[in-house]
Parts: sequence; structure tokens; C-alpha cells
Amino acid sequence: MSFFGKKGSCHETPTVSSTGAKKVALVGNPNVGKSVLFNALTGAYVTVSNYPGTSVEVSRGTTAINGEEFEIIDTPGMYSILPITEEERVAREILLTERPHLVLHVLDARNLERMLPMTLQLIEAELPVVLVVNIMDEAARMGLEIDIPLLSQRLGIPVIGAATAKKVGLPEIRAAIAGFTASTVAPFGYSRLMESDIAAISGCLKGEYILSRKSLALLLLQGDDEVAELVRDSEGDGFAQVETAVKEKRFERRESFHLDLSMERKSIVKKVLDGAFRTPQKRVVTLAERISRLTVRPATGIPLLLIVLYFGLYQFVGVFGAGTLVDFLEGKGFEEHFNPWITGLVKGNVPWPVIQELFVGEYGIITLGFRYAVGIILPIVATFFLFFSVLEDSGYFPRLALLVDRVFKTMGLTGRAVIPMVLGFGCDTMATMVTRTLETVRERVIATVLLALAIPCSAQLGVIMSLLSQSPRALLVWSLCLFGIFLLVGLLAAKVLPGDTPMFYMEIPPMRLPQFSNVLTKTYTRMQWYFMEILPLFILASVLLWLGKITNFFEKMINVMTPVMASLGLPKESAVAFIFGFFRRDYGAAGLYDLQSKGLMSPRQLTVAAVTLTLFIPCVAQFLIMKKERGWKVAIGIGLFVSTFAFGTGWVLNRFLLLTNIV
Amino acid sequence: MRCGFCGHEFAESEGNVGCKNCPMSSGCKMVKCPRCNYENPPEPALVKGIKKIFGKKDRE
Repeated sequence: MSFFGKKGSCHETPTVSSTGAKKVALVGNPNVGKSVLFNALTGAYVTVSNYPGTSVEVSRGTTAINGEEFEIIDTPGMYSILPITEEERVAREILLTERPHLVLHVLDARNLERMLPMTLQLIEAELPVVLVVNIMDEAARMGLEIDIPLLSQRLGIPVIGAATAKKVGLPEIRAAIAGFTASTVAPFGYSRLMESDIAAISGCLKGEYILSRKSLALLLLQGDDEVAELVRDSEGDGFAQVETAVKEKRFERRESFHLDLSMERKSIVKKVLDGAFRTPQKRVVTLAERISRLTVRPATGIPLLLIVLYFGLYQFVGVFGAGTLVDFLEGKGFEEHFNPWITGLVKGNVPWPVIQELFVGEYGIITLGFRYAVGIILPIVATFFLFFSVLEDSGYFPRLALLVDRVFKTMGLTGRAVIPMVLGFGCDTMATMVTRTLETVRERVIATVLLALAIPCSAQLGVIMSLLSQSPRALLVWSLCLFGIFLLVGLLAAKVLPGDTPMFYMEIPPMRLPQFSNVLTKTYTRMQWYFMEILPLFILASVLLWLGKITNFFEKMINVMTPVMASLGLPKESAVAFIFGFFRRDYGAAGLYDLQSKGLMSPRQLTVAAVTLTLFIPCVAQFLIMKKERGWKVAIGIGLFVSTFAFGTGWVLNRFLLLTNIV
Repeated sequence: MRCGFCGHEFAESEGNVGCKNCPMSSGCKMVKCPRCNYENPPEPALVKGIKKIFGKKDRE
């Protein structure tokens, strides 16, 4: 990393920005209000760019205080100055290479005890720190009392109580930025044994460093490779002595060093907080906390998940959205009123039957494409997105991630993969793109396969729910099949693909009651985005189908697929749904809906078709994204595997249903 | 805005910068959370306009 080459002392003058402004770095855990403070300080004049050589974004802005200009840097969230993630590495590098005039450590007043160890690290590193105890308003509501002056006295640095979202504490922060003079000496120390270990290492350090020798010694003892490189460069021949000293101490401590240090820091934090931080006599466990606990424990979380799925997906999206609303819009609105009217209008004004066919024929732009988009898909996605937004705003998704983490680990994934999986129920194309956020290539490939195979998109899910809800057994068979295949393929993929499952760590935000206006806004936005995306595609697909029909290509395709359909026990006409499905998954599902409305399929055939179509090849858009994200080889490999697997499963399922007569 | 997945609060501008590398960038207007990468829908211009009329300000 670039800070290796930079040598200097902590006593050197801090660097200034290209405009001559002194730099102020905002550091702290994620979600403590750094960005809110950053925005409050800088206003609208902000640049956001990737940190050089990384994909981590860093925001910079300027602020003027008492006529002097300061550059504010919003660093990525960090839990410690011993970095684990790329974000933490970048945050530390900013502290080291940009040597700010001031480091504002922002922490959450509600989690003071957990976050203060990082303050200790910043102080012992002799960085110019000011502590901002943020979210004081929420802490006060919880009955927590924090003695800010006492905290400041014990830590030996300025401490400011704030609620930046409500602009409380901003004048004090601005005053601290403008009037800060560095003079930090840590007023706390570790046990005699720990201090002697630190002294043994720091005594060997002769070079000039940005961090204090004490801090460097601790990082070396914790096995920080980047710091070891930095010291190697700085010490030259003397590094051998440092290395020997570190090895000796680490050998003496064996595996216990991290734990010992952590315990000692905890103990210092406890002493600092003694009398400065008071919790209410009786901790009030809120209803939200109770519900939160229930959602993450398998014994209660799984039944709760099933209840959420039953009422949210089955009853609201499947029965109400795809049943009642679609019946009304598609059945009454289009079939009874709009289609006959528009057909009459076009036929009365356009003399050419081929053009009539293009607009109002069997696969016409208006009578099929527009009808599918508005009459069938729109009410389904509207109800789905409404349900989705309520869940999203309640804070349920991170809890779901925690709940499924163990199951996902058996499939080579972590709970983090629940993000693309959940998004996949909205749109698999978008979700495939989100798999890039997973840590390893192995995880990304597994998640992409599962998305292409076993996760139906919102419209497809809604239509299939509506189709199968008339036969609860068919719905049960479909659900079990999909769930079983999801697990089986995940397990097999984890066995076949080499590599280890990474760690999963995430902070859980509080559960909250969704805001009605927010839910409506999100639903409206998603519907607008979805509709604008699908309508042109549906029109294009209708044109292609029309072309296929007038050139007889479509008929030939159906004839080619007839034996495949027959082997699945499906009527010849169902080939149409599969051809539609290649254009878009939801288009295929809507085609199936049409076939069922015409009474062309038995419950067994519907079950087989629904399972095969859900597993069937991803739509064109998803396939193209797979190619972009994973490359041609993987995309074609997944496409072939998914298609073969889908028809193979359909064939087996048909035989099974014929034998058992379950459906 | 607040991320719908992890609850992280961030400015809308922070969630759009990485999009330039994305193959779907011209079609998707989602705002990606800088912490967990979850895609959040942006506030529609219509809603922003209404809020402006009634003088309701965002937390950011």
C-alpha cells in the first residue's frame, strides 16, 4: 500500500489539501452518523471517488470555519486500526498518508462501551483525536446518561456530545475543528506484563513513524503484515532485531495475545466509563427488541418466516394480487372491454390483416404485450413490491440473513448472500449483478447458479402462486421441489467448487415500524422502474413473436419443442409459454396463465409446467448480465446446466406425479 | 437516505458513484448502499417535488 513509502513523524505538520485547507478525517464504525455529520459540515460541495487502487469510495468536501477552510474526509467504516476488510485498510491508509490536522472519531452513544476501544487505539497511536459521542438523543430516550466532561477528563482528549441528525452539537464540533491543538498523551496504560512486552518491541524501533511506537509495537504483536512491511522498510538492517523481539513475545504469549489485549482494553474502557456512563436501573426491553430476538432464533424464526411468507406472498401477492386484482384488470378490463374495443378500432381503420395481426392479433402488441404488462404483471408486481417494501422498512431482511446464515454456509455461502437472493424475488437480473458484492468468486458463482435456477422473479412468482393456489397440493409440490432443488444444487456446488466459506459479519439495525409514506414511495418507484423496463421488452417480444408467426418460424419452433413437451406430459401449446419465458421469465409465466384460463391444462400438467418453467433457462437480460459478470464460459455453462436440469426435473416430476397421483 | 437492508444512513449521491462501471448503468436508477451494496429505490422526482412544496426536508 502506498503509505509504506511515506515516512514521517507524528510530530510533523499535518498535510494540507491541494487548496491549502487543513484536513479533517471522520472515522468510526459504520452507521454511527459519520455521513450525516459529513453532510452537515460540508453541504453540497462534495466529491465522491474511488480510493486509488481500490473499489472503496471516499467522500471529500470543504467547510469554512472562522474564515479558514478545512477539507473534510468521510472515511469508510472501521472497527479497529488493525484492519480486516478493504474498507478498514483504506480508512487506516487515509489516517496514515494524509496525516490529518484532526481525527474526529464519531461513535454511537448507545454502544459506547463497544466502540470506545477504537478511541483508545487512536489515542495511543498519538493521533490528534476529538471524540464525538453521537446519537445522544436516542441514548437519552433509552435512559442512558453520559457525563461528557468526565469522559473527556479520563480520556485526555476533547469529547463532544452530539445528535448530528438533529444538528445538535454542530457548533461545538466546528469550534473543535478550528481551535484544536494537538497535545495528546494517553492517560491510561496496560498491565505491567503487556507494557513490558510493548517496551521490548518499541525499544527496537529507531525509524521515524506516523503512528506512535507503542501503537506500532501492538500492531506488530497482533501480526499486522502491512505494518511489518512498513517497519522493515524504515528499520533496514535493524529489522532483524525487531522481528526477533516480536517472535519471542508472540511465542511467549502463544495464541492468547489478541484475547489478552482485548480484555485489557475492555477493562480500561470499564474504568473510563465508571461513573461517566449510567444505564437505567431496569433495562426496558422494547417490543421491537422482543420481535427481533424471535426472528433470529431458528425455533421461532422459521415459523415466523413461514407466517410472513404465507400471509405476505401467498395471501397478499398470490391470492389478492395475482387473483383478485388480475381477474379484475385482465379479465374484466382487458378481455371484456378494452380488447374488443381496440380490436374493432384497429380492424376498422387498418385494412391490412398482417398489420392488424401485429397490433391486435394472437401475439399482438396491444392484445398480448400490453395486456400481459398492464393486466397481469403490473398488479402482481405492485402487490409484491408493496409487501417487499414493508419487510424492507421493518428491518426484517438483516435478521433473515442471520437466520439463514447456517443453512447458507452448508452451500458455500454466507448470510450476506441473502441480499441477492431476496432481490432475486424482485428481479433476477438485478440480483445477479448484486452477486458481485459477495466476497469470493466461489460464492458469486454459487449464488449466480442458484439465482438462474431456483429463484423465481416477482412476476413469475406471483403468476405461479395464482395458478397453483387453486390446488394447494400443486402449490405444496412446487414449493417443496424448488426448496429441495435450491438446497441440493447449493450443496453440490459447494462440494464441486474449490475454496472456503468466508466469515459473515453484519451489524443489525433496529426493527422499526414501516412508515406508510416511505413504503408507498418505494413501491411507486419500483413499479415505475419495472414497468418502464418491461413494457418495451414485451412490445419487442410481441413483434418477434408476430414475425415468427407470419414467417411460420414460430410454428416450426413449437413443432420442434412438441416432443419435449410430450415427454413432460404437457400439451403442445405449452411450448409457447417456454418460448415466451426465454424473452422474459414473467412473460412465460403469463403465457402459462393464459393456457390455464383457456382450460388447456390439468393440475398435474400445471405443476410440471410451473416447476419446469421456474427452473428453466434465465431470461435474455439475466443471461446477458451473467455473461458480463461471470464471463462467456460460466454463463453458457450455467445456461446449459439450468436448461437440462429444468427439463430433467420436469420429466422426473411428471413420472412421479403419474405414479403417485398426488396432484 | 437509509439503506433498506442494513439501515446505514448515507447521502443519495454516495450510492450512485460506483454505477458507472456497471453494465446496466443506463437503465437502472437504484441507489446502492455504500456499506452493504443493497439496491435502494431513489425518491421519485414527483415525491421530492411534493415534499418541497410542503417544506418537508430530508434528514440528510
